Amino acid sequence: MTEIAYRRAGALRGTDDQGRRPLDLTPPQKLMIFVLSMSMFGLSNILLEIIPDLTIGPFDLSVSYFVFVPLTLAALLSPFWVALGAPLGEIIFTDLLMGDFSGLAEVEGFLQMFLAIFIAGSVIRNPRNRAQIAVGAVLVVFIDKLLSAAVDLTKVWVGVEDAEYVEGLPESMLVLEGVGFGIDIIISGVLFGVLPALWLVPALHGRIEPLLGMRPRVPGEPIPGQAAASGWFVGAALMLSLASFFFAFLEAWDVSIGAFEPEYLEQYGTWFLWISVAAIVVLLGASILLFRRAQARPVAPAEPDRAAAEEEHVG
Amino acid sequence: MARRQRDVVSVEWVKLELIRAAYATRGGLFSRMDPRMVLLWYVIMAAAPWLTHNITVLAGLFALGAVSVALARVGPLLLLLFIVGLGLETIYILAVALLFGGNAETAVALLELTLKLGAVSTASMAAFVSLDPEKLSDALLSLRAPALLAFAVSYGYRMLPILVEEFNTVFDNYRIRSAPPARHGFLGIRTLVHWVKMAVLSFYPIFLNTAQSVRTTVESLETRGFTYATVDQRGRDIRLGYLKVTALDICVVATTAVLVLLAYLAGDQWPLMRRDFMSG
Repeated sequence: MTEIAYRRAGALRGTDDQGRRPLDLTPPQKLMIFVLSMSMFGLSNILLEIIPDLTIGPFDLSVSYFVFVPLTLAALLSPFWVALGAPLGEIIFTDLLMGDFSGLAEVEGFLQMFLAIFIAGSVIRNPRNRAQIAVGAVLVVFIDKLLSAAVDLTKVWVGVEDAEYVEGLPESMLVLEGVGFGIDIIISGVLFGVLPALWLVPALHGRIEPLLGMRPRVPGEPIPGQAAASGWFVGAALMLSLASFFFAFLEAWDVSIGAFEPEYLEQYGTWFLWISVAAIVVLLGASILLFRRAQARPVAPAEPDRAAAEEEHVG
Repeated sequence: MARRQRDVVSVEWVKLELIRAAYATRGGLFSRMDPRMVLLWYVIMAAAPWLTHNITVLAGLFALGAVSVALARVGPLLLLLFIVGLGLETIYILAVALLFGGNAETAVALLELTLKLGAVSTASMAAFVSLDPEKLSDALLSLRAPALLAFAVSYGYRMLPILVEEFNTVFDNYRIRSAPPARHGFLGIRTLVHWVKMAVLSFYPIFLNTAQSVRTTVESLETRGFTYATVDQRGRDIRLGYLKVTALDICVVATTAVLVLLAYLAGDQWPLMRRDFMSG
C-alpha cells in the first residue's frame, strides 16, 4: 500500500481558516466521538458475548475485548473522549442490557479501561506509524491487565482474599497470574489488537474524520481534546488507579467477610470499610480536579483563534 | 400472542429479542411506572443484597428478583443467557473446587455469591428491560445526570439493535463473497481464522456507517438546540413535564421496601451464615 499524503480542498467545519484543527474539540464533536466509541465498543462486546469462553484449568483462553476498536478511534480522533465512551459502552450495552451488572467491579473495570485507552491512545502521535500502533495496542491490554493483576495480588497480600493456589507456595500464584497475563497480552493484545489495528488504523485514517467534520490528524500535531503530558495528568492517573484498588478491596472485603468474620473484624475493624469509602471519594474528587487542571492549559490559547475564525466566516 | 416460528433459535430471532428488550415492547408492570421510580426501585433491589451475608436473606431477595423478572416479562433470550451464564459459572467453579480438594464450605461460599449476584442481575434485567431509551434518558436527565450520559444511554439502547442488524448484513456479505478455506485444518483452525478475519474486516464499513449516522443524529439534535434544551430550565420543564409519580409507583416501591425488610427480618429469625458450614 502506498502512502498517500492527505490533501483536501476547502475548510472543514471544526477547523480554522488555515485548515488547522483547533486543539479543543467543539461540544458536538466531543459528543460524536463519545457516542461513536461507545456504540462500537458496545457492539464488539456483544459479539464477544456470543462467543463461548474457553478455559483450560486455571487459564482463561478467551478474548477479553476487541482492543483494536477503541484503539483505532483513540488514535484517529481523541483519546480522552474515546477512553470515556468505550468502557461506558461496555457497561450500557452488555452489562446493563444483558443483566450482567456486577456492582463495584464495574467501576473498577471502568477506571482501569479508561486509563488504559487514554494512555495508549496518547502514545500514538502519528496514526501512520506502525510501530506506534503496535505499541499502543499492546499497551491497552498491558495497563488494563497489569492493574487488575496488581489488584488481585494485593488482595491476597493484604489478606482480604484467600489465595486459592498451592499452599505454602506464594510463588505459584505469582506464576499463575503471570502466565494469565501473558496469555491475555498474546490473545487480546496481539491477535485481536496489534494485527487488526495495523490494518484498520491506516485504512480509516483520512476517511472517518471527515464524516465527523474533522480534519485528519497530522503527525506532530498536538492531540485534540487532550491534556499535555503534565504532572497534573500523571497525578490524576495515579489517583484513578488507586481509587480502582479501593473499589476492588471493598468488593473483596464484602466477599470475604462472610467467611472470616470474627478474627477478621478484630484485625481490621469496620473502620477499614469507611476509610476505603472516604478514600474513594477523595481520590475521585481530586482526580477530577487534576483532569480539569490538566485540560485547562492547552485549551486556553485555542479559544480566541476559533472565535476569530468564526467571526471571519460570518463576516 | 407471539407468532410461532419453526426455527426458534436463529439470528433473526436474536435480533428481534434484542429489539424487544431495548424497546420494552412486552409491557409488564415496570414499563407502566415512572422511570425515576423504576430507578429508585432498582437501587433498593441492587443495594440490598450487598449489605448482608445471611443466606436466608439472600434467598429471599433472589426470590423477589425472580418474581420481578416474571412481572417485567423479560424475554426468553435474556433469561436463557442469564441462566446459562449463572449455571455454567457455578458448575465450573464447583468442578475446580472439587478438583483441587474443596469441601462443603466452598460450595456454600459459592452458593452465597451466586445468590447475591443472581439477585442483583434479576433486578437489573427487570428494570432495564422495562425502560425504553426515551424514558431512561429522561429519568437520568431529571435526576441531574450529565446530559452527555443521558443522551448516550438513549442513543445506545436505540442503536444497538440496528448496529447488530447492520453488522450481521456486512458479515453475511463477506461470507457470500469469500470462499471458505479448502480444509478445516487441525481443530477447525482454518475455519476459525477465516471467521475471525471476516468479523474484523466487517468493522471497517461499520465504523464508517456508524460515524456517519452518529454525525447526522448529533447535528439534527443540535439544530433543535439539544445542548441548551437540557441546560435551560424552561427546556427541561417542557421535556420532563410528562414524568409523574402515580399511586402505582408508590405502591410498587413501598411493597418492595416492605418485602426487602421482611427478608431481613426472616434472616434475623432464622439466620443461616457461611460460618455455620465451616468445619471445625
